[in-house]
Amino acid sequence: MDCIRADGLTKSYGETLAVDGIRLSVESGCAFGFLGSNGAGKSTTIKMLTTLIRPTKGSLSVLGIDALREPLKVRHRIGVVLQQPCYEPTLSVERSLTKYGMMWNVPKAESQRRAAQVMHDFDLEDFKKKRNEDLSIGQRRRVQVAREFMHDMDLLFLDEPTVGLDPAARRKLLDYLKEKVAGGLTIFYTTHVLSEADYLCDKIAIIQRGRIIVCDTPGALKKSMSRKKTITIRTNADDMAVSAALAGVSDCTIEAGMGASVTILSTNPEQVLMEVLGRLRQNDIKMREISAAAATLEDIFLETVEDAPRTSTR
Amino acid sequence: MHPVLRLVNRNLTVSLNPGFLIWQVIFPLIYIFVAGFAYTSLIQDVPFEGERVGYPAYLATGMIGFNIMNSTLISGLIIWNDRRHGMFEQIMSGPYTRMQYILANICTIGIVGLGSAGLIAAVGFPVFLEAVEFSPLTVPMVIFAAVAGSVLFGSLASIISTRLSSSEGFNVVINTTFLFFAFVSTAFYPAQGAPGILGAAFYANPLTYLVDTIRAGIFGGVTEFVMIEMGILSGLAAVLFVVAAKMMTRLDF
Repeated sequence: MDCIRADGLTKSYGETLAVDGIRLSVESGCAFGFLGSNGAGKSTTIKMLTTLIRPTKGSLSVLGIDALREPLKVRHRIGVVLQQPCYEPTLSVERSLTKYGMMWNVPKAESQRRAAQVMHDFDLEDFKKKRNEDLSIGQRRRVQVAREFMHDMDLLFLDEPTVGLDPAARRKLLDYLKEKVAGGLTIFYTTHVLSEADYLCDKIAIIQRGRIIVCDTPGALKKSMSRKKTITIRTNADDMAVSAALAGVSDCTIEAGMGASVTILSTNPEQVLMEVLGRLRQNDIKMREISAAAATLEDIFLETVEDAPRTSTR
Repeated sequence: MHPVLRLVNRNLTVSLNPGFLIWQVIFPLIYIFVAGFAYTSLIQDVPFEGERVGYPAYLATGMIGFNIMNSTLISGLIIWNDRRHGMFEQIMSGPYTRMQYILANICTIGIVGLGSAGLIAAVGFPVFLEAVEFSPLTVPMVIFAAVAGSVLFGSLASIISTRLSSSEGFNVVINTTFLFFAFVSTAFYPAQGAPGILGAAFYANPLTYLVDTIRAGIFGGVTEFVMIEMGILSGLAAVLFVVAAKMMTRLDF
């Protein structure tokens, strides 16, 4: 069953088209990554999906509810971790958690139990009596994410939740979210850290200039989108000798060093590799090391975003 | 619990910190007991609705209205803080509507306003005890005026908070506006005897209508003029509430 289904979702601000008729479907019980460069339309899309703003056109169903007709019903069943810091400055960590539970109508005893649980899960116990305004950015961010687990929900939106977190806290959060997804929660996750999306998400969409340009699993994206591969060969000769040996071979670059390196970046790397190896052998240049790098999500993201057509305004 | 009550609970928790409460009590107490009695060597009594009232009693009743105005600043602060610290957007992405958020703020203002009025009335009661002339009509009148005044000043603070995003701008505008309201009003001195333009300016100030109505309720001087003042107070409160509600519904994310 689709947890989110958007069709022709559009948002314009005067002449500027922020989101241009996107079509999106997110399956229940998966982690869905939503990537895009700054100003691509990610936050506007999330605001429409969370019913904070109304689309100019299009239809939107969230958890099987018509989100344009019954936004409040949708909001009762979702959790939202916004991109910007959101906190009650004068409340302590513990108090802000229990108050947030109260705001979601969680009974007092249950709210206290959940607060203790999330403080444990997010390592907040050491500063639970500290006021939010006295916390570091990373601690405050952890409280903001932890707070969302004070109430029950079927779908959680996280807009760049790891901003300000150290690598250990970041990994811990991703593992925590993975566990929740395994337990049936659907997650809609935006980030600029592409390795996070690769680690967490079952499916990824890339938005650019208000349009979704690709949407698939990370593995399939890597397979289908990566036209280029990188192969690096370290040699025992200097760059002059290597350059002379490889004169006329396309798609490879040579770097000077303690033995020059040859990097092949090609859509047909196997053929270029054979050519390079043949030329090196002919010129009696020995190969010290060879490595091949698979395309990362970051390569795909950059490649996709660069290729996207420029049609952001009307 | 009803969503509005949950938000009122949250509003009271985040805004009623010890510093604010101490300020709300100490500030008027200094006016009543220090300024009120110190000035008696200069002003023994002042005219009010055709009678003479002792200055400490006059000032103590003025402080009730003054404190209502000050306490309803909370409304502006709640909205401004919610916007500044992202909680407005967070609440709106949760199980609440904008109308519930607005109603919760109004209820918070009413509770804080009535609480402040009650506190100062209780503290200042010994000062105006001798002049009190309560009747079945005047008690509800005082309560009504306190609520209308809370809504009026709370709405005004809300309007200011929706228009300003910088803390400097918010503080300057709020303090200047409320300073004008406090001192160009009948809270501290009567309009009779004030220079002509200043006396007229008193009646361009809603705090004057609030203070006059509360005084009339406490001292029993309910005249036709006071009833008109109460009507103006209620009308202004209604208009400002509608404006504040409209501006808050237009707040974007």
